[in-house]
This record gives sequence, structure tokens and C-alpha cells, in this order.
Amino acid sequence: MAGSKILLLWVFSLLVQQAIGQQDTGFVKIVQGNYLLGGKTHQLNPLRKVHIQTFYIAATELTNHQFKAFIEATHYITDAERLKNAMVFEPGLDEFKWLQDSTACWKYPNGKSRGGIEDKMNHPVTSISYSDARAYCAWAKVRLPSLDEWEVASRAGASTLYFWGNDVEKIGEYANIWHGRNHKVADASDGYLYTSPVGSFKPNAYGLYDIYGNVFEFCEGILITDPKDRKLAYARGGSWWCSKNACGFFNSLDIGRVSPHASFSNQGFRVVKL
Amino acid sequence: MKIQTVKCCRSSIFFLFLLLSFSLFAQEEGTWRQASPSSQAYHEYRLKNTIPPYGLVKIKALIAQIKDADDDSKSPLNQKAYLALPLNEKFTYHMIHAESYSQNCDVVPPIIDEDKKIFGILPDAFNESSWSERQANFLKSQKDAVVSLIKESVNRSKRVGLNYKTALVEMNATETIPFLIELYNRDHKDFDILTVLMLFMKNNEYKPFMISTSFVKLYGDKSDAQSFINYNKANEELIISRAIAFYNGRK
Repeated sequence: MAGSKILLLWVFSLLVQQAIGQQDTGFVKIVQGNYLLGGKTHQLNPLRKVHIQTFYIAATELTNHQFKAFIEATHYITDAERLKNAMVFEPGLDEFKWLQDSTACWKYPNGKSRGGIEDKMNHPVTSISYSDARAYCAWAKVRLPSLDEWEVASRAGASTLYFWGNDVEKIGEYANIWHGRNHKVADASDGYLYTSPVGSFKPNAYGLYDIYGNVFEFCEGILITDPKDRKLAYARGGSWWCSKNACGFFNSLDIGRVSPHASFSNQGFRVVKL
Repeated sequence: MKIQTVKCCRSSIFFLFLLLSFSLFAQEEGTWRQASPSSQAYHEYRLKNTIPPYGLVKIKALIAQIKDADDDSKSPLNQKAYLALPLNEKFTYHMIHAESYSQNCDVVPPIIDEDKKIFGILPDAFNESSWSERQANFLKSQKDAVVSLIKESVNRSKRVGLNYKTALVEMNATETIPFLIELYNRDHKDFDILTVLMLFMKNNEYKPFMISTSFVKLYGDKSDAQSFINYNKANEELIISRAIAFYNGRK
């Protein structure tokens, strides 16, 4: 009896999460000031003080609905559509293994065989590249956040690994991540195998949703380790694929890197007003 | 419930200001520490690949042709040209050119005291790239020939590059265990060889290793992609002795 009540409560909470996720995005003002960023031992993101000008960042990740408007207005061809080399995921793969799928693009984030986005227009757009994200920004007259701006926004005043402290066990309240021990078996224990509707989980103190998890968010910037012979794209916050054991990048410290033309179904973006 | 917008109330901003002030104070207690020169040097050493000599000039020219000069996007060699390559040149192609992308969190960043640690997994051999399905299939289907080419190359260069180590794990080439141990014992410098030995034992579910403290720390429920055990003589000897026992017990 108690078990069935718990099950009902769980189902109800998932429905509430789904309902919350129906909202469109707004912008949050981050005031200018000096902020401490980085970590004491992090070699790519050292502890330092930075001055940030006031900026306005989207409360949610950019949705399929918003990206569709861009495509319809411009007939832009994404990298995945052009190169036919998007990387997709299905349960059963070894850690860090992805499949190349020529049918995958923003309309079919994990390939045609795994379904389209018809009923996922309020999910973050994925299977797009950094290059595609910049094209959207140019059209919408917005921009990507810088690496530092993203971190200021994600921390919401905190100096800890996560904006709520250092306890990773609370991640499930705030983020759509992978809770399985590995990626051999499907994990939808938080209600979602892949992406979730934006704003489905609790926000940080600044009112930003999905700052961790759901999709890696592209940022602008360079690091001291950047190679001279090629351009790198950086993205932060981890994704629905990330787990505690395989990729714990759902925090305010780590910085992911990827080819600027790579399209993965766990990559998306959040915009900043010009 | 409504998403917060720029119309935040003043009291919330004041509260956030107080919170921020406290957080800044809390973080200023620490100072950033850079990895030592030896740690940084070891990070570079770990990432070095071995470049095979077989048809190298020809393969480099082919790769230069397929790379899109405008945007540096990833393109595989077309199937006809790929299939036309003799085996040893195909091997060179695989060892210097990965056809697929690696995801955001795949690239291992430098860390403190890297030169004193034995990690659970290898770094990514090709930065933001990884082998495609056809490349992985080639390695597995041509395992004996690839192992032979790797040994030949290593015996010349006296070093097993990260790409070779990655290939050995991909192919589950456990027959190379004595060869790897002999190579490691020459200078006891490349701890990633010990990582390869442990990955062999893990991937083949070698029970004495699976129930060990090292396994729990490197691959257990609380492990992550950067998990490590400290380098010391005892750990080194234990890994090698277990790997020898695993090798001798293979069917």
C-alpha cells in the first residue's frame, strides 16, 4: 500500500515537472561586479577574480521551437545536415561511446529511427554544432555567453562546486542527468532518457533553469591550452548523458571541449542579449 | 510557477548581494596552485602518439585532401580510397586520423601531480576525435596483423604511444601483456601501460582484480573518469603480478 502511494507520488511529481517545463524563456539580469571564479586546483579554470559587465542571460536553454523559427526564416542548413555525421546515443554503448548517424539532425536528435521532435518543441535544441549556435545568434541578434559569464550565472553567488554546495547527491533536484551506473542499460529514473522540457527542474538562486544537465551549453572563449593549429568550441554544465561515474561535468567548474562542427544529441545552448 | 525575469524585487537582489559577499569571502581563503613542471611534462608525455612509418607520406597527403580547408570539419576518407589501402597503410591511417568526434567531457584536462598517479582509464588519443565504427571494426577484425605492426613499431621507437595503447584496449589484445610488462620495466616511466593492464583485467572480468581495493577505487560505484591510485612500488608490483596471473590463466 505504502509502495503504491510512493509510486503515485513519483508519477505525480513527474507530471508536475512536465507541466512546469511548458514555459517559454525569459531573461535574467546579472549585475556587473567582481566575481571569484575557478577552483584552487583546476588547471584549466584557475581560481581568479574577474570583472563582469551587466548582462542578460536566458533563464532556459534555447528550445526546438525557437530554433525552428530560425530555420524557417533562413533555410539554414546545420552542420549535421550538411556533413551527415551527427553523433547519437542509445543505451547499451560503452562509456564515452557514441554512434555516428547520417539521419540525425536537430529534427531527429538521435536519428530518424529514434523519433523526431514533434512532441518535444519545448525541449532544448540538440544535435547542432557550435557553428550552428553562432548562426542562430547572428539571426536572433543575441550571442553566446562567455565562459566567465556562464560561470557567474551558474554559481548564482556560490563559491562551491555546485550552486547549492558540494553535495553531488542533490543533483537530481536541479538537473536532468544520467543516474545509471553505466550506459549499458537505459536510465529514465528521473523521468527522462534523453532531454527534458526546459525548466523541468528547480532553478538556481538567479532563476536559471537546467544550468547543469539537460544539454551542454556552448560558450565563447579560449583557454591557455588552446592549440595553435585548430579552433575549439567550449561548452559547460554537463548534459542528460553525464553521470557521476563517466562525466561529472554538471558543475560550475569544469569546461568541456569539442570540435566546432561536431553535432551531438547532448549539445545545445543558452543565449545572452546583445 | 513563473520563471524569474529582470523584474526581480529589490529585496531578492539585496539578499543575493549578501550571499555573494559571503561566498567571495569564503573562497578567498584558498589560492590556486599550478601543477609542477614534472606533472605538466608527464601530461604531455601521456598524450604523445606514435606515428607509424608505413606509407606515411601518402597517408598524410590523403588526409590533407579530405580535410575541408574552410571549416576544418571532420571527414572520413572515401570508401573506395579507404578499401584500396594495403593493410599496413590502413594501419597508419587509423593511428594518425580518427574519423569521428569525441564529446565534450571526453578530453582529459591536466591535473595536479599527474606524474604520481596511475589512472583507471586512458586519455583520449585524438583530442576532439575518436575512431569511427569502421575504424574500430578494422582494428578488431585485423587484430593479429595490427598487434604485429604495433610491436614492430614499438621495438623501433622503444615507446608505445597513446594511440597504440588505445588500440590494444579496443582490440582486447591480452596476448600483449608480457610484451607490455617488458616494455614498462625498461624505465618504469609510462604508468598508462599499467592502466592498460588493469583495463584488460577489468574488461575480461578477472575476478582477483574485480574484488581488489584498486578495482573499487578505479572502477567502483564512486569512481569517475579521473579516478586514480597513487604510484608506488607496491601498487606497481601488484598490478604487474596480477596481470601475469591473468595472462597465465587465459583460456
